[in-house]
Amino acid sequence: MNKQPLNSDADGLASLLRDARATPSLPPRFQENVWRRIEGGAVPNLPSDAGGWLEVVVGWVWRPRRAFALAAVLVLAGVGLGWSQGEQLARHEAQARYLAAVAPNSVR
Amino acid sequence: MKRSPCIVLLLLVAGVAVFASSYVLAQRLCAKHSASSTDDLAWLRQEFQLSATELTRIRELHDGYLPKCGELCQQMAVKKHELEAALTGATNVTAEAGQKLTELAALRVQCQRQMLGHFVEVSQAMPPAQGRRYLAEMQRLTLGFHEQIEQSMSNAADQPHGHH
Repeated sequence: MNKQPLNSDADGLASLLRDARATPSLPPRFQENVWRRIEGGAVPNLPSDAGGWLEVVVGWVWRPRRAFALAAVLVLAGVGLGWSQGEQLARHEAQARYLAAVAPNSVR
Repeated sequence: MKRSPCIVLLLLVAGVAVFASSYVLAQRLCAKHSASSTDDLAWLRQEFQLSATELTRIRELHDGYLPKCGELCQQMAVKKHELEAALTGATNVTAEAGQKLTELAALRVQCQRQMLGHFVEVSQAMPPAQGRRYLAEMQRLTLGFHEQIEQSMSNAADQPHGHH
């Protein structure tokens, strides 16, 4: 068997196929765009609208420790504001009681 | 990581509920705690930081003033009934109605004078700075209403009347 001509034909065919394959040219600034996309993927998605911001906030709160801290802050703020409002109401009622006692409506 | 809008909404509602329930609970507790006092002078004690001695003196003045004030109020109520009776069915301000109006106004002036005198006495039983503040506050609260009416009426009088 003569293998020499067969190898020679295969090499010629491979060379022919290589030359025939179209190598499309890369779009302009391809490499730069690829790096930009890689960098963009490394950081969390920047919120572009209200929903995005909400997503970021929820993402921040998602950890149990932060959720408890936020709940504690909300409870403290609610108690503080409610107590202050309650004091104002009570003071107003006490003032009205005193006024009703010393200054009848008919002379006010 | 994209979360379901339902979860986000649930978290928001839970946050609002936690805040609102704390707020309402604290407000009610505070109001209940403060309303337990039925003392007429509780406001004076708190607002003007009175000592026990000052409060005792003011309570004496207060207790002495109330029957006098009540008596004048009773007289005014009677006079108002008489005025209403004089005006019932009348299409004009009769001489009797005018007389009742004058008597009612005189009683009101007497009541106001007595009230202001009481405020002055109470203010003198307080430390000077608190006394001045009390007197100013009471004048604002009891006479301010009339000032508002007079102010609004004088503003209205400044407006040129249209000729029809």
